[in-house]
Amino acid sequence: MSLLVARDLRKDYAMGGEQVHALKGVSLVVARGEYIAIAGPSGCGKSTLLHLLGGIDTPSAGWVELEGVRLGSLRDRDLTRLRLTRLGFVFQRFHLLPVLSARENVELPMAEAGIPTRERRLRAIELLEYVGLGHRRDHRATQLSGGEMQRVAIARALANRPALLLADEPTGELDAATGQEVLDLFRRVNADGTTLVVVTHDAKLATEAGKVVRMLDGAIETVDDT
Amino acid sequence: MTLVWALRNLGRHPLRTALSLAGIAVASAMLLDMVMLSGGIERSFERLLLGRGFQIRVSPKGTLPFDAEATIADAARVVARLRADPDVVAAAPVLGGALYARAGDSLVTLFGYGIDPSAQSIYRLERGRDLTVGDTVGILLSAPAAARLAAALGDTLRVVGRLDPGIAAAAVERRLVVRGMVRWLYDYRDQPSVGVVLPVMQRLVGAPDHMSLVVLKARDDAAVPRVVGRLRGAEPRLEVNSVAQLVVHFRERLVYFRQLSYILGTVSLIVTVLLVATLLTITVNERLGEIATLRALGVGRPGIVRQVLAEGTALTLLGTALGIGLGVLTARRLDQILTSFPGLPAALSFFVPEPRTLGIAGAILLLTGSVAGLYPAWLAASAPIAATLRAEAT
Repeated sequence: MSLLVARDLRKDYAMGGEQVHALKGVSLVVARGEYIAIAGPSGCGKSTLLHLLGGIDTPSAGWVELEGVRLGSLRDRDLTRLRLTRLGFVFQRFHLLPVLSARENVELPMAEAGIPTRERRLRAIELLEYVGLGHRRDHRATQLSGGEMQRVAIARALANRPALLLADEPTGELDAATGQEVLDLFRRVNADGTTLVVVTHDAKLATEAGKVVRMLDGAIETVDDT
Repeated sequence: MTLVWALRNLGRHPLRTALSLAGIAVASAMLLDMVMLSGGIERSFERLLLGRGFQIRVSPKGTLPFDAEATIADAARVVARLRADPDVVAAAPVLGGALYARAGDSLVTLFGYGIDPSAQSIYRLERGRDLTVGDTVGILLSAPAAARLAAALGDTLRVVGRLDPGIAAAAVERRLVVRGMVRWLYDYRDQPSVGVVLPVMQRLVGAPDHMSLVVLKARDDAAVPRVVGRLRGAEPRLEVNSVAQLVVHFRERLVYFRQLSYILGTVSLIVTVLLVATLLTITVNERLGEIATLRALGVGRPGIVRQVLAEGTALTLLGTALGIGLGVLTARRLDQILTSFPGLPAALSFFVPEPRTLGIAGAILLLTGSVAGLYPAWLAASAPIAATLRAEAT
């Protein structure tokens, strides 16, 4: 059963007075439980595609449906709510709030979703244990290493039990060893039932996924099962 | 979580936040001082005049009390007539004038009050005992007078009146015993004043049956306009005013104080808005990536706005708290300077803190701080998520 369907996505924007065609009619289907890597060279449009799939940008043409809901038909408030409850995001630069502890960072999406304090605290601790950082839960984000920050970011993305986790170059800022830890974690997250779409230009990461979508110049070049 | 997060965000750049807090504290202190000044002096004036509960002042027509030559003649008759008014419960005549006291070979210049001990209205006894009706050898001293004369309770002073400085000859001299130390309500700072019973003062200054003014205590506040109206009709040579009317005259004369305080108060509010808005705008611009991430994670625009406004409010709250302390200290110092001007009663205060007005000023400041956060909050909430994240990544 399809969790996400994207049809003929196009994205154009002006840059320096010129029109850039970032996506030129991309279609993609993500089944529930899949682990898909979107790979390709820098500037091929993979991050733009991820932003459209996650409802944080709007396509110039085409549409995206998540669990049967067309994102373009939603008001900003409903789309925000959908991102909060059905989607999880992991970014290359982690983007943790430096003034909050690891636990507080993980609690944040749950607080926004209105989960009671005690419940969200327990869940945050549970998630930090899951990513192997239970002992670092009271450390501020600035006191963590890059790999630890990315694992906290993954715990934060899982906080509201999303149907789909989207990650944009999650190992881009990490060395090989810590990058591998993140890859191992993604595999575990997927094995535990979360659907994953990961954008990467890292060939190794791409081979970890069950399916690799290769992009070039704003279009899908190949789709391979690994 | 919002407030904790707001406070921690302010702590990210301690020096910048401290400087902003200092700026807000100074602006808040200025606003509070201006609020205290805008109505403080007239409230202080009213309290001073009503200090002993006398609501009506009667003085010679067109003069101020204690003008050297301005006195009310036929004082005994006038006082008797005033006391006969059914709404008047007390009438306190006072005669003021220059006196001198011998201190060794020299003369010390004093200001003398002749009072009626049965209805005194212009001093508070601090030590010793009060004068009694008919005590023609007793004298009361203010602390500055006692200091200049090196006099203590029980000492005998040689008090001189009607002195002609040209020939240095005393027309009248009396030996008076210090009965008590008092605080004269209308004295300026360090004024050496003394008090004797009215008949003694009249003899000393050579003004028999004269008084400078008489103050009246009405049965109740509602009776004051009736008494004033009756006296104006019956005694056209006298200036009759209720304290309320004097306060109105005073207010009219000091309208520029109010205008000044409004202008400076408004300036301080603008400064507060600019400080808070500038700091928050800089902070928001630095954190656009973080804010875009929060939006991507599903934090709604209201949540972002709430967060930025919370930071503005926290900043203003802390700055105002510091500003209150600073404002009170500044007001005290300014009051000391202003009330040391010659001719101003030392008990008068220019800066009077009133809980209600201070509360309003605090509320306006907080509101201002919150309003100042509106633009940066809008900036944060309207940042395009994808474009901001793209810009952050490059």
